[in-house]
Amino acid sequence: MKVEQRQVTLQTENLEVGYSPQGKMDAFLRRSISLSAVSGEIIALIGPNGIGKSTLLRTLAGLIPKVSGTILVKGLPVDHYEPERFSRLMSFVSTEKLVVPLMTVAELVAYGRFPYTGWLGTLKKEDHQRVADALQKVGISHLSGKLINEISDGERQRAMIARALAQDTPLILLDEPTAFLDISNTYAIFQLLHELAAREEKTIILSTHDLHLALQKMDKLWIMLDTTTLEGAPEDAILKGWLQRLFHDDKVGFNAAKGEFFFRKEPVGTLSVEGNGRACTMVVKALERKGYQVNRSSREEIHVAVREGHKNISPEWDLLIRENRRTFHSIYDLVSEL
Amino acid sequence: MMERGNLNLSVRIRLLFTGMILLAVLLFFLDILFGSVSYPAWEVLQALFAPERVDPTLRTIIHEFRIPKAITALLAGVALSVSGLQMQTVFRNPLAGPYVLGISSGASLAVALFAMGFPILVAGGLAWTGTWTVAVVAWIGSFLVMLLVLAVSARVNDNMTLLILGMLFSSGVGAVVNILQYYSNESVLKSFIVWTMGSLGSITGHQLYVVAPAVLAGVLLAFLKIKDLNAFLLGESYARSLGVRIGRSRLVIFAGASLLAGTITAFCGPIGFIGIAAPHLARVLFKSSNHLLLVPATLLTGANVMLLSDILSQLPGTGTTLPINSVTALLGIPVVIWMIVKNRKFASL
Repeated sequence: MKVEQRQVTLQTENLEVGYSPQGKMDAFLRRSISLSAVSGEIIALIGPNGIGKSTLLRTLAGLIPKVSGTILVKGLPVDHYEPERFSRLMSFVSTEKLVVPLMTVAELVAYGRFPYTGWLGTLKKEDHQRVADALQKVGISHLSGKLINEISDGERQRAMIARALAQDTPLILLDEPTAFLDISNTYAIFQLLHELAAREEKTIILSTHDLHLALQKMDKLWIMLDTTTLEGAPEDAILKGWLQRLFHDDKVGFNAAKGEFFFRKEPVGTLSVEGNGRACTMVVKALERKGYQVNRSSREEIHVAVREGHKNISPEWDLLIRENRRTFHSIYDLVSEL
Repeated sequence: MMERGNLNLSVRIRLLFTGMILLAVLLFFLDILFGSVSYPAWEVLQALFAPERVDPTLRTIIHEFRIPKAITALLAGVALSVSGLQMQTVFRNPLAGPYVLGISSGASLAVALFAMGFPILVAGGLAWTGTWTVAVVAWIGSFLVMLLVLAVSARVNDNMTLLILGMLFSSGVGAVVNILQYYSNESVLKSFIVWTMGSLGSITGHQLYVVAPAVLAGVLLAFLKIKDLNAFLLGESYARSLGVRIGRSRLVIFAGASLLAGTITAFCGPIGFIGIAAPHLARVLFKSSNHLLLVPATLLTGANVMLLSDILSQLPGTGTTLPINSVTALLGIPVVIWMIVKNRKFASL
């Protein structure tokens, strides 16, 4: 689908955000933020700790007032919307871990119907249907009767996302949705959100520190830097070297070719490696991690010869220092010896 | 399964509600039956339903004293527990309640200061002439403390701070009482101290015409805000993102809670621990966090606990009475201790 056919759901123009407790406005570096989002796309907001990602998301969600500039939701300034109307346009999932005793998953998800129910909050048939749909979309229908304090962090995050889905808003904002999750749950949540954005034609904006996953799963990155914010496809960000600018530290770099981050170090020494296959790839990786410069073509004073394993034979690594040869059966032992 | 906002109540919930109402009726009667002078149950029944057949003394005791007192106990239980529930929800703090947060102390402080300033109005056991003024002063006191606690809790959101604030207010009241003791004449002092002990018996039939509508209005406000109270369970951010107008909603809830706690404190003195214990008992019994259930459940639990406290305070069969405040404390403190212990487990989750 062409971008022009998609609706611009959210746009900021010269937006400035920040908390101003007792007029201390300079707590945040003033930067003017101009970003946009269309329907059906998932966006990651990335940037160093303390740069104000949460503040930006909370400002966009209408939870804290903006400092200056414009936020347009569906083409209209946010001030134009009454709170009740706004809650049907934007839902929010905070990073805080929700602990409410005696609340079931279905009850939590039903909170999404809040903007649509009457003064007592009683659910109608359609509301029940929406709740059931939302639970099904995030794959936790079987948990609907469980208490939210009794399910895992990953399941609770799914329930929070289901709640946002039940709210039936074109925009969903999530503040570090994977902060409490292990790697497999992090992947699962990214994949789920990625699918939801495309299938449900929603704009999903999330903040994350997981650059690796953001590069793989996002349609767009919003990159917050000290002085500016940048937006573009992950690949644009790689090509234009934006990701480098995330690191003040010279020791961390971004390898544009591999799309990976690495740690810069002065090499502790040079050695050569000879061999093929995974046993060889892995030992090179380990040696590089330890800070060695690995020479694969010519022979150095310290040399590692790899004997690749076969079906019933484990791989072995020979370490040759001058004429002294020692054989190792694990990379760990080899590296420890150096 | 009980879903939010679904009124298809389970059999268990229906039975609980029915049981609670029957228990309240029973306790209400027992509360009328027991007193410093004991009468046979059938005579009391006669006095209730066929007053012309019993002797005038009994009639007076039942109609002028015991019935107003039982009604007061009922209203006090309802008011304190509902206001406690509202505070626990809005502060997201299981230890909140009119007494613990110092709302009652705030009312006391205001009344004490008032008593110092205008001793004539207060002398003679907070007489009828002064009751209205004292009530208004207590309302203002409780509302101001509520706003103060709100302002503090907006900055530091943790249980300890709120509890310490409540303690400080109690100490503040103690200090003012000391000053009062030093400068005031005996009758003012005595009426204030008696007032701080709490009493359900000081309300006459006339004053019930003030207390009952005030409590009714407060409970009505609580019912009107059921949906918002549910939203506050998720915290301010979520409530706001669900379209709740936080400031306005919280103000209405607090006005209601102060009206409830302030009224009872004004007329009966600061009665502790009902406001914190009753909502927890209701949660445990009804196993729900939905205020559509919790508001009526808490209201009934509070009424029952308060009636029971009043019955116990009369020490049936002995002819002596205990201050109501001591009884509610002895009944409520174990619940609060249980909450704190349970909550520690919660916090480490």
